[in-house]
Amino acid sequence: MADFQVLGKSHIRVDALEKVTGKATYAGDVALPGMLMCKVLTSTQSHATIVSIDASAAEALPGVRSVITGKDYPDAWFGSGALKDRRIMARDEVFYIGEPVAAVAADDEVTALEALDLIKVEYKDLEKVVDPLQAISGKSVEIHPDMEGFEGYGFALGGNNCTMLDADRGDVDQGFKDSDVIVEETYHTQPISQGFLEPMACVANVEANGRLDIYASTQGPYQVRSQLASVLDMPIGNIKVTAMEMGGGFGAKLRLALEAFPALLAMKTGRPVKLVNTREETFTLNGPRLETNIYLKTGVTNDGRILAREARSIFDVGAYLGAGPNSGVGHGLGAYNISNFKLRSYGVYTNKIYVGSYRASGVADMTFATESHTDVIAHRLGMDPLEFRIKNALSEGDTGVSGATLPKNGLMETMEALKERMGLPKKLAKGHGVGIAVGEWRSGSGPSTASICVNEDGTVSMLTGSVDISGSDTSLAQIAAETLGLRLDQVVVAKRNTDMAPFTGPSGGSRIIYSQGKAVQNAAEDAKAKLLELAADRLGVSAEALECSGGKVYVQDNPPQSMDLGQLGRMSLSSRGGPIIGTASLSSMPYAPVFNAQGVEVIVDKETGQVRVTRFVQAQDVGKAINPMGVEGQLEGGAVQGIGRALSEEILIDQETGQVRNASLATYLMPLALDMPEIETILVEVPSSDGPFGARAVAESPGFGPPAAIANAIYDAVGVRIKTLPLSAERVLAAIQGRDTDEYRVDVDELRAAEGP
Amino acid sequence: MKKSLQITVNGELNQAFVEPYYSLLDTLRDEMQMTGTKKGCDEGDCGACTVLLNGKPVCSCLVLAHSAHDGEVITIEGLANGQELHPVQQAFVEYGGLQCGYCTPGLIMATVGFLEGDEEPTDENIKHALGGNLCRCTGYTKVIEAVKAAVATTGRKTE
Repeated sequence: MADFQVLGKSHIRVDALEKVTGKATYAGDVALPGMLMCKVLTSTQSHATIVSIDASAAEALPGVRSVITGKDYPDAWFGSGALKDRRIMARDEVFYIGEPVAAVAADDEVTALEALDLIKVEYKDLEKVVDPLQAISGKSVEIHPDMEGFEGYGFALGGNNCTMLDADRGDVDQGFKDSDVIVEETYHTQPISQGFLEPMACVANVEANGRLDIYASTQGPYQVRSQLASVLDMPIGNIKVTAMEMGGGFGAKLRLALEAFPALLAMKTGRPVKLVNTREETFTLNGPRLETNIYLKTGVTNDGRILAREARSIFDVGAYLGAGPNSGVGHGLGAYNISNFKLRSYGVYTNKIYVGSYRASGVADMTFATESHTDVIAHRLGMDPLEFRIKNALSEGDTGVSGATLPKNGLMETMEALKERMGLPKKLAKGHGVGIAVGEWRSGSGPSTASICVNEDGTVSMLTGSVDISGSDTSLAQIAAETLGLRLDQVVVAKRNTDMAPFTGPSGGSRIIYSQGKAVQNAAEDAKAKLLELAADRLGVSAEALECSGGKVYVQDNPPQSMDLGQLGRMSLSSRGGPIIGTASLSSMPYAPVFNAQGVEVIVDKETGQVRVTRFVQAQDVGKAINPMGVEGQLEGGAVQGIGRALSEEILIDQETGQVRNASLATYLMPLALDMPEIETILVEVPSSDGPFGARAVAESPGFGPPAAIANAIYDAVGVRIKTLPLSAERVLAAIQGRDTDEYRVDVDELRAAEGP
Repeated sequence: MKKSLQITVNGELNQAFVEPYYSLLDTLRDEMQMTGTKKGCDEGDCGACTVLLNGKPVCSCLVLAHSAHDGEVITIEGLANGQELHPVQQAFVEYGGLQCGYCTPGLIMATVGFLEGDEEPTDENIKHALGGNLCRCTGYTKVIEAVKAAVATTGRKTE
């Protein structure tokens, strides 16, 4: 392994100082002269026709500058996911309580709120459906009867099933026939919020030349730009999006959110308009994750080989198909080599807020099901759960569910590291339990660009279009520094907007270090080649004879013969090639899987059902930890989000109306420092073949395992198997007392029949 | 009806003319242009808006601005001495106790309040001191390491 100067060592984040001093500027901190405040009126009905909207009283209120409704927007459809099935603001029909129907810009927020009260909307109620299992049954109203006309429509069973994805291999029927043991189960996961601390915020302004200037809290400035262009029917080139410091997104801020409301109001009034969500609105105006019902059937031999799997996963997508049910097929097998499978995943419309993305949407749900199921099978066979996993684990050369051949990876190493750290297998005292789970993901790909300019003092300026996400700017700067032989503080990280930086994919799906990092590495290599070429010319040697490190370009055989980067930077200004700029652009990266093995120890209080996690260990193959402190931080944070999902977090949905009932942080229970054990993190480094310096993705995987690991530990502690999240005290106590906790049933025969022979 | 008030913020006297229902948080952010203090919920649930009011950590969203009249407020902007960070800020930087940074001002102010109080810096007390501050990114492990490092700079021992 090469001897790195900057990589692989923990560095203070490049943005640390501004964040600990209060100087970091978030979208909600932006204030422009003459700025108006925006508030949004939302639907009070679950499913209804809009008969009329009367905004005259609101418009007459002093201080109100503009009121808009859905009809003020061009007649455009857009989508948060595969289907273009939404309007930015309701026009003739509302599909859930909380859907935007009007927006106001006023001199201040209080006036804007008063104006909302004065807008009269007359609705005519339509039949609604809230339960996804009823919605998919064909025995309820069809929410979007014209869905086959939606752009992007592919295949579905009809009714409210708006998309069905499938994956098949081998002979699943024969696999079950050859099996000694068949285990068939259904799991249920709860609606959940991304829980970012910074509410959505945006300031929109119209420049003198008519261009829209947007200050947003977003993971995807280019996605906001293009979606905004489509809903406002304006050229992409007329919009500039500046991604401000982002106070957490976790997938919720990947796409157009509320930016179109202040944008249109700014166009109407000619003044800057600001919209900041309340905490309540972060639950009701912005897509969360909704419930999932997952049916699994697995056949195994008595000696513990998995022969066949059937999985049917029903994802409630709410009123519109946001982040779809892809993980139902992509993650239906877990980290195991199963040669016969039939996987189906269904997206189902209901009259609820549409689903958004959250840290690898749906994978945590699938992993709860598959990794609980894995333990159930192991116990049925009388095998140790870890040994059963190791026996069936994917290995290099196996064919993954997508058909891709599995490259070299660290799955086995993560399980071995977990085994060693926790001393598995082991049996704890009565009421105490140990449980494990394995999460799998892939390093994210997608369009990535970077440029690196050499400055006259030998520093370099790095420009990428990507938004910093959990320290990615620091790691990208490390990659640039390492490649060019500079110190980290010699890399200037540009604050950027969509006018300044070339297109790049969003900061999501664990793609920044793997893909954007590769672009930075390539751009740095390009700059380095140009530096060497210029130095070769001046030193009268060939470029191959030169090396670049320590802020100098020097002759390898005679290091004193050198030029420093500042000299070269200054010289380049008048050189034949001109100022030195390294650039790189790529569209996709090869498949590089990521595995994370987790183990927990819990204490279950048999009197109350309360579960306390007393120890948490995780081992993840990160390929190469660019900034170990940052990598650990991401893994710790992801694990704690997973613990919250396991034990306490749940968006409560009114089963009559589909309305969110607990839209506050007092009632939506995210983990506090008080609740959490120290997270022990082991970094396993099996380099990827194509990532920068061997790096793999980090962020998504740590959130997958906790629900199953904790459910498995509860089973170990008190002998009850809970298949519904969260694993709340009430539910655990009910199970201990022998009451049925499996409240959800998927009608699998009907789903099979609907598909035809 | 708007009334005037005066608050000493970070050692400087500030005046504002605000409605009776205005919170200290909105007054700091909107009237005094000190946006370092963050609004995460406006309901006292997240702790992002924590400041020291007369030496005690409070959720500034739950304090009416007029009730802080003639009071002394320290915000995140008032901790560093020029380029020299407060030991708590320094510890959060060095131990990676921040990611997106939105909860960070509140966590740092809660920690400063804890260190200036007289509670023993046991693990349990540290966790309790941060019990009103939500962080979604870090999982708290590095935050607690940072707090312990900050405690160590005061010469007190942690567990």
